Amino acid sequence: MNTSLERRVAERTAELAVAKELAETADRLKSAFLATMSHELRTPLNSIIGFSGILIQELPGPLNAEQRKQLEMVRESSRHLLALINDVLDISKIEAGQMVVHPEPFDLRDSLMKVLGIVKPLAEKKRLSLQANLAAATGTLFSDPRRIGQILLNLLNNAIKFTEEGTVTLGVEKDEATVRFSVEDTGIGITPEDLCKLFEPFQQVDSGLTRRHEGTGLGLAICRRLAGLLDGKIEVTSVLGKGSVFTLILPLRKPEVS
Amino acid sequence: MRTTILLIEDNEQNRYLATFLLEKRGYAVISANDGPQGIECAGRFLPHLILLDIQLPSMDGYAVAQALRGHPALAGIPIVAVTSYAMPGDREKALAAGCNGYIEKPINPETFVTEIEHFLGAL
Repeated sequence: MNTSLERRVAERTAELAVAKELAETADRLKSAFLATMSHELRTPLNSIIGFSGILIQELPGPLNAEQRKQLEMVRESSRHLLALINDVLDISKIEAGQMVVHPEPFDLRDSLMKVLGIVKPLAEKKRLSLQANLAAATGTLFSDPRRIGQILLNLLNNAIKFTEEGTVTLGVEKDEATVRFSVEDTGIGITPEDLCKLFEPFQQVDSGLTRRHEGTGLGLAICRRLAGLLDGKIEVTSVLGKGSVFTLILPLRKPEVS
Repeated sequence: MRTTILLIEDNEQNRYLATFLLEKRGYAVISANDGPQGIECAGRFLPHLILLDIQLPSMDGYAVAQALRGHPALAGIPIVAVTSYAMPGDREKALAAGCNGYIEKPINPETFVTEIEHFLGAL
């Protein structure tokens, strides 16, 4: 009786060890696959983006208007393809548990000004007013500044993309436990039905306007997952035809003393 | 003497691309298809800067950087990794292997040479 029980325990333990080994092998294969895909896809893109850029700069010689127009289309498409590759890799890394966040102390106002500096030309190009309510953006925050920047850039880019006139506002609010970053726009808004699938991969809301708003369809899915990695979340409220507010809510925490 | 840049890159089109951009700005470019050839060229020409692809056949860029750093005559030449690897930790690995900088592919043809010059300026 005892021996048979022991034998069964030993068998199960061996089975588990094999299963663990298989899972770890699969994990390593996935990592290797991601690294290889990243490399293999970027190498030809390096040529496409590089040579079209050289031609548009007219380094080899002058272009006529039609040649320039077509080369700019090549460049635009290749940049779009690069954005897709980067987003797919980001999503894959997150799902494979390989996206690691690096919390560190950083100056809140400085990093928000950096993000605003990047999107300012886009807002100006569309003649939108870009506002910032940064009165509460004081002091040092302990989190991953790169990932927060990536999320806010994504939300601001979306706000600008889906707003034809009016204002895009970045705001910050703090209480004792949380910091809330809000991105508010006066854009096309989102229907209640579309709100629920907003954060699913490849679900850019399908409206008559879709054609005018190219995107990878992965931005918000990445944002939500990144917010989760930072122990936070993203909330959204929207009125169709009036605009939307996306809010990134993160816990306020002090560096752990070790 | 013109500023000389050694390019170690196995992809023919990428080699042509970087060489074209650098020569347009007046640099002399020597190129090598793999690590051992690159190390040999570095010793022979003592370039002012080395641009190093990371994924190379047989001997990868990290090993090439380490070999260059272990060579007294070459240890002071700035090395910039130009790589299409973009996984977490790649930048750190390149710097740990002895590279001074890291540029991600696809390169931006409008800013590539200026980025490189930043490392030449440190000479």
